[in-house]
Amino acid sequence: MNDRPEPSFGSGEMRGIGMSHYLPMPVIEIGDGSAPLPTTRGIFTAPEHLLDSDGRLETGMLASLTDSIGGMTSGLSCLPDWIVTTNLSLRRSPDTLQGPQGTGDLTINTQVMRRGRSSVVTRSSVSDADGHDVATSWVTCAVLTPAGGPPPFTRPVRMNDHERSDDPLFELPPEQFFSLEGGSRPGEILLHPAIHLRNPWGILHGGSVAHLLDTAARCVVADRIEPGPTPGIIVSDLVIHFMNPGREGPILAEASVVGRKGRDVLVRVTARDQGAEGRLMNAAAMTVRVL
Amino acid sequence: MRLLAMESEQFENGDVRGWLPVTPMFTGPDGGPRIGAIGMLVDALGGMRSITAAAPEWAFTADMSLHLLPTGPIERLQADIRVLRRGRRTLVLEAELSADGDRPAGLALLTFAVVPRPDHLVNIVIDTSPGRRTMSRLEGDQEPPADYHRELGFIEESTGIVMVELRPEVGNTVGALHGGVHTALIDEAAASLGRTLLGPTATTTDIHLAFMELGFTGPMRAEATLLGHPDPAADRVGAVVQVLDGNDRVCSYATVEVSAP
Repeated sequence: MNDRPEPSFGSGEMRGIGMSHYLPMPVIEIGDGSAPLPTTRGIFTAPEHLLDSDGRLETGMLASLTDSIGGMTSGLSCLPDWIVTTNLSLRRSPDTLQGPQGTGDLTINTQVMRRGRSSVVTRSSVSDADGHDVATSWVTCAVLTPAGGPPPFTRPVRMNDHERSDDPLFELPPEQFFSLEGGSRPGEILLHPAIHLRNPWGILHGGSVAHLLDTAARCVVADRIEPGPTPGIIVSDLVIHFMNPGREGPILAEASVVGRKGRDVLVRVTARDQGAEGRLMNAAAMTVRVL
Repeated sequence: MRLLAMESEQFENGDVRGWLPVTPMFTGPDGGPRIGAIGMLVDALGGMRSITAAAPEWAFTADMSLHLLPTGPIERLQADIRVLRRGRRTLVLEAELSADGDRPAGLALLTFAVVPRPDHLVNIVIDTSPGRRTMSRLEGDQEPPADYHRELGFIEESTGIVMVELRPEVGNTVGALHGGVHTALIDEAAASLGRTLLGPTATTTDIHLAFMELGFTGPMRAEATLLGHPDPAADRVGAVVQVLDGNDRVCSYATVEVSAP
């Protein structure tokens, strides 16, 4: 892949739309589309194969949702420029980490809080079908002029309101969809950046990175090498800094335990693009709760 | 800041190490330093590190996350700051925290926005030469106060709401509320909410904070609202905390966890 491919907004190929089929979330813009600080709402319909035995979505994929809607809503405030996510924070409500609350379908209300000359701050509130708070998230984005222009939008925006694809790719368990592979020790996970994990500009989707880092953090605490579910172990909060794009791959995530506090484990995680001389893509701090 | 009596050491490569002597004026129920005081240290050291990393431009703190580990009573907290990335418009720093120099005490990540050097700072020369220096100290005969947050002028207006008048003592170089004071104010508002729900040992253990506007109009106030409900074990809560200026403009936005060991 060359360094700066032409953007693709889903016209006949998987790049830019793969994540929206795997994590289906139609998004609508609230109001007539003229607000300088836009507000949006996403409704996530939870496919069973993405959920744990309680029906709960993993924190990394929840962060993928808030990254998607937060980034898109931030971008609306910047048109005709666009944005790139620089930092993503997510905190789950402590009462929704286990048991029936916080499971199933989710609603994400998102609002731009500040649109500056060079950056945007946007917050999201995640609730379940009964209206319980599931999580809160904020993203910061840098404003830029993207190659090929921003995605095409009609305001007010309605997006991802498409028929669910019957491609078996979207029925795969997360570790297969995200092309993950265990590394040489617990907490080392490789991601192979397949085309469906990239955004319209050919860069690894921030949500793919969030899942990779979450998986590495859970695996180092669970002391397991192979990626996959870790029953009873969940990330309760995360902060991910996006420093460089993932273009080449494989992407190596490395998680290490900083220390423990009761049932919680503080984990530091990084991701590097092995195909780009090990360039540092992400640094993250996560709290992993052992239930 | 002067009351914290912090020290720093700058190395040849520009990286910075700093120390916060821990005194009862800012310790929590377990005897360890509160996150608000640690935020002061990290913000100040991050600012020092940003001067050489951003040169010839300038840098402002854009966001900061702090995750603490329980330390119990300690003599001093150490922070080691290093650059993770210097981009054209952002600078990302990491701070490793340790207790008495040998035990892990937490982790901080900071983003700075890199901007052209402001006019009022163009001719200012800041000593960034390698070496150890005192960042702040008490006046010769000054007794350390009993309670740091009270000394800053924090007033708990009601559960989860804490105010501070904008005075020079809590301001930064341009007269806005100091970034470290944002952290302390958020800590106090969150702990206030936590004490009501979890009891007197409630302590803020981590903060994800985004700075949005400079707070020039006081009084400044932090408002903490509960995220969901307390943990079923009733030993922790999550909260959202906003710091607003006298015109109700949101100047910083944070999410926190408060726990009661």
